[in-house]
Amino acid sequence: MRSPKKGKILFIIIVVGYLFLWGPIIVLGFFSFSSDSYGTRWLSFTTKWYGELFQTSALMDAVVRSLIIASVTVVAATAIGTLAGYGLYKYKFLGRRILRTSILLPITVPYIVMAGALLVYFTRVIHIPLGYPAIIIAHISFSAPLAVFITLGRMQRIDWSLEEASTDLGANRLTTWRLITIPLLLPAIFSSAVLIFPWSFNDFTITYFVAGVGTSTLPLYLFSMLQYSLKPVLINGISLIFILLPTIGILVVSSLQRETKKTR
Amino acid sequence: MENNEHIPCVELKKLVKRFPETVAVENVSLKVKQGEVFSLLGPSGCGKTTTLRIIAGLETADEGEVLIDGQVVNKIPPYRRNCNLVFQNLALFPHMTVEENIAYGLERRKTPKTEIKEKIGKMLDLMHLAGMEKRYPAQISGGQKQRIALARSLVLEPKILLLDEPLASLDRKIRKELQVELRRIQKELGITFFYVTHDQRVALAISDTIAVMRAGRLEQIAPPDEIYDTPRTKFIADFMGATNIFSGRAALKGDREVRLESDEGLVIFAFNHKNIPVEKITGISVHPERIHVLAGDSKSRADNSFKGKIVEMVYQGDFVETKILLLNVENSRSIIVHLNTKLSQKSQFSIGKVVLVQWDKENSNILQD
Repeated sequence: MRSPKKGKILFIIIVVGYLFLWGPIIVLGFFSFSSDSYGTRWLSFTTKWYGELFQTSALMDAVVRSLIIASVTVVAATAIGTLAGYGLYKYKFLGRRILRTSILLPITVPYIVMAGALLVYFTRVIHIPLGYPAIIIAHISFSAPLAVFITLGRMQRIDWSLEEASTDLGANRLTTWRLITIPLLLPAIFSSAVLIFPWSFNDFTITYFVAGVGTSTLPLYLFSMLQYSLKPVLINGISLIFILLPTIGILVVSSLQRETKKTR
Repeated sequence: MENNEHIPCVELKKLVKRFPETVAVENVSLKVKQGEVFSLLGPSGCGKTTTLRIIAGLETADEGEVLIDGQVVNKIPPYRRNCNLVFQNLALFPHMTVEENIAYGLERRKTPKTEIKEKIGKMLDLMHLAGMEKRYPAQISGGQKQRIALARSLVLEPKILLLDEPLASLDRKIRKELQVELRRIQKELGITFFYVTHDQRVALAISDTIAVMRAGRLEQIAPPDEIYDTPRTKFIADFMGATNIFSGRAALKGDREVRLESDEGLVIFAFNHKNIPVEKITGISVHPERIHVLAGDSKSRADNSFKGKIVEMVYQGDFVETKILLLNVENSRSIIVHLNTKLSQKSQFSIGKVVLVQWDKENSNILQD
């Protein structure tokens, strides 16, 4: 039996913990409704900044750009990463172990080093124009390894006689992939996508190096706003939106998961 | 089609499969008759599963030929072979319902929807599983999964059904039930079964023919009673539970009688049913339940009889496994017998008592190699 006193202490710890996590976000949200254009003092309540937000076309362009880049990256990096993970697990070839370990590199190398390396590589070696192509390739290169690792982890827990059973029952390789392998890998594919999207959307360092002119993403745009804008309060608003959207997303997904668990 | 009864359902010709470390299958040749249950029996690692996977097409043979219905199938991929496999772990698709699992093979063959429905219905009836259509594999019991896996393969009406110890993971009672069921289904459908197992009881219970495999080679192919009563080698005798094995030198006595002088110095007589040349004989085996135990002062009336002392008794329910140390033998040598439970309760058959063990020469089985 838990004593009421112990319960109270636990409750306080939880409240403090959540305040620590949510405090900055609450403050940010709070000041986004303040009429002070620097967004750091409370003057009076207003929602005008939100209206202005949607009329600042440069900001909206940056949001759209970020969404496009993140979407393309998610699809490409998840596909590449899943296939690579499958190949690394299923096929034996020379240098497999080295390859498998070296995939860690893009994750462990400091971003700034990676960014500099990519910039030199793109401009001096393979001549990829800075901007969308460079950003997307860069994003894929640091997020595909994540999908590889998630896939490898999942593959270890899959019963591979299921693939054999499928061929035994008359399905060729391609049909087996479509009907058995992909459904088995679906949880890994889904987790990869869910992790890669914010990685790509949030990335600042690498994008900063390879963005070029006219393709600043949301993080880059917000950074320049901090430095040069007369209305930094807009940052509060846009930030709050991008905190709330994923939170709602996560809640929806987890409630959906609970539903499917109930029916299974 | 009507004249193919003489063509073996499956034939293996000098099959060889090498793995980097070992030779898994070494020169295996066998014929499986149409409509029979053929068991490949052997300890784990003897190459029986590899043989099965070669027939299924999941492994390729390094040498030799696989024939299904008289056709060489070495180069035919598994999805075009007219045989299906029930996996050891069953391999039911976890993301599909029972119905979808059974329909999987039929859908690959582009069978019309109504026909699929009808066939699934029939299969579920045959397996006593009606009403389970919409369940997922995670929601049904081990025995039911077993039947679904069987149904999923059988619904395709293969020429031969390959089974890789599908009963191994079940508990004893359900295993026995399913053994009987398996036999019933096989008879009803008339499909040839090729059954791989390490459990000699299962093999004896369900087979028409048993092939015993050891370290990649076949040691004996025969009906179950023959394998049990007259195992050809020491390995088979031991594997089939004949725990009394005597090695020694044999000599012919009369026309059909063999006199074996065992390494311990015992003289054992055997009847040479199969006319095995004397130079090939290396030993004799006797099943524990074929040995009689009499009180120590009885007169011996059998071909082989020895005095011994009871040293161990293990209660097994229907019999008592009794270890008897033979007297008047140079090296210590004991014999295991199955003593009737009623007899075991008598005072002359308790630990420490001297008894007479005996058996007739017909119960001595001659071993070769």
